[in-house]
Amino acid sequence: MAHRFLRTLALASLGVVAQFGAAQAQATLSAVKARGSLICGVSQGLAGFSQADATGKWSGFDVDFCRAIAAAIFDDPNKVTFKPLSADARFDALKKGEIDVLSRNSTWTMGREAALGLKFAAVTYYDGQGFLVPREPAVMSPLELSDVKVCTQSGTTNKDNAKDFLGANNVKHEIVEVGSPDDMVKAYQDGRCNALTADSSQLHALQIRLAKPGAAVILPDVISKEPLGPAVRQDDPQWFEIVKWTHFAMLGAEELGVSTKTLPAALASAKPDVKRLVGTEGALGETVGLTKDWAVRIVRAVGNYGESFERNVGTFSNLGIPRGMNQLWSRGGIQYAPPVR
Amino acid sequence: MKNSSGKSALAAVLASTGLLLAALAGPALAQARPAEQLDVLDEPGRVPTAEEEQLPPQYQRQVVFFRTNEAPGTIVVDSSQRFMYLVAGNGRAIRYGIRVGRDGFRWSGLQKITRKQEWPDWRPPPEMIERQPYLPRFMAGGPGNPMGARAMYLGATVYRIHGTNQPQTIGSAVSSGCFGMLNSDVSDLYDRVNVGTKVVVYQTAPL
Repeated sequence: MAHRFLRTLALASLGVVAQFGAAQAQATLSAVKARGSLICGVSQGLAGFSQADATGKWSGFDVDFCRAIAAAIFDDPNKVTFKPLSADARFDALKKGEIDVLSRNSTWTMGREAALGLKFAAVTYYDGQGFLVPREPAVMSPLELSDVKVCTQSGTTNKDNAKDFLGANNVKHEIVEVGSPDDMVKAYQDGRCNALTADSSQLHALQIRLAKPGAAVILPDVISKEPLGPAVRQDDPQWFEIVKWTHFAMLGAEELGVSTKTLPAALASAKPDVKRLVGTEGALGETVGLTKDWAVRIVRAVGNYGESFERNVGTFSNLGIPRGMNQLWSRGGIQYAPPVR
Repeated sequence: MKNSSGKSALAAVLASTGLLLAALAGPALAQARPAEQLDVLDEPGRVPTAEEEQLPPQYQRQVVFFRTNEAPGTIVVDSSQRFMYLVAGNGRAIRYGIRVGRDGFRWSGLQKITRKQEWPDWRPPPEMIERQPYLPRFMAGGPGNPMGARAMYLGATVYRIHGTNQPQTIGSAVSSGCFGMLNSDVSDLYDRVNVGTKVVVYQTAPL
């Protein structure tokens, strides 16, 4: 009897969990709408990704992503409250419901997703550990280096990655550990090392601090995987869809040629792919609790993926990071979005 | 300076991109010259300054990540981005900034390099002479020549990959369908490819 009782209890509690899940399913979107703004967790200041100016206005690639979600919901990219979070505090803040979405250059790993009860919705930025080397002598790959002194920041995974990679490929090297990004710049300029290794996006930030940025290049090779993207809680499938498809809408728009400049043409387009994206055919946005014109709202507010990339971290920013892996799959990169249909 | 594996990888790239074969191409193939394809804005005699030849960073020649099914040594042109890629294999390509055809003059398709020419001559076509009667009927190849330092002819078309004496137009859509490059870039490319090189030209479909 006790056995049966326990089983009943177990089933009942399962039911409660299921019901709780269903209740939560609409929770985030409703809460955001009721509040009138999205709460977005960002970094405490990382050039190009999320930074606040003197007036407290946030900008950056990760910031744009939250503005895109706000635009999809409210048709207003300014209805976002940005919450700067330290690396240590970020996942807790999400779990405790202090933020609706975490858009803070966070690497998607199995450990984080499974153990922390999160879901990464998409890879908005493929980062990875790379090498900065002098422009001359010109090399195409770190494999062409030899007798190279590589500076890394101590206490990071970069040192082991570099050792493994250079060792496995028989590149004669010496690793020089330094304390901070400032020390990396100094060590390179003082000639204590003739290469730097760090995540590629960081290398670009270091490069512009060199006395002669143009005399150094960042090789296109990466030796580790650092897929960065937004995370949400696991318990709200609809919210997860909204966040995920916000990224896919931005990518899809770029692929179809829909940009802030071409929106009027896109709205008049007769092409089925374009019509579905901009909502002149069907009502896919409504299936995730948004409106027909959700993607138009996103593009109007922050542009398509390429526009946001180039403005914040690419060609039109100080960082000047090339698209690289973050180019569309159809143009030599690996950014690929399932179709909006 | 280079370790053995690096050296062989580099040799493979160079061999596949035709650097070694370029010497064999030597004498230009005897064939009828296609009609000159000219830019409306051409300025014969103009010699670009060193400053003008300093392109914005994104259009400077660089090695980039480039995932493709095209074989190493293939040229891929992305007109909408104003980039030309020389596929180097291993997910890499050498990328050059280019100028492309203005609206209505951009094209796409598959071609081959059918002829290579150093410091090509320039013969303005009759339509252009009619518009600008003061133009020379013939201009020998050289620094002030609108065709620039090198030309690579594409199939039997009137289009070419060539240099330019107007480097400030790189990144824009002004030509009549040719791909214009910095003289130093077109020379770099010229030395890496051979007659017979596959050229794939992409163009984004209109909305």
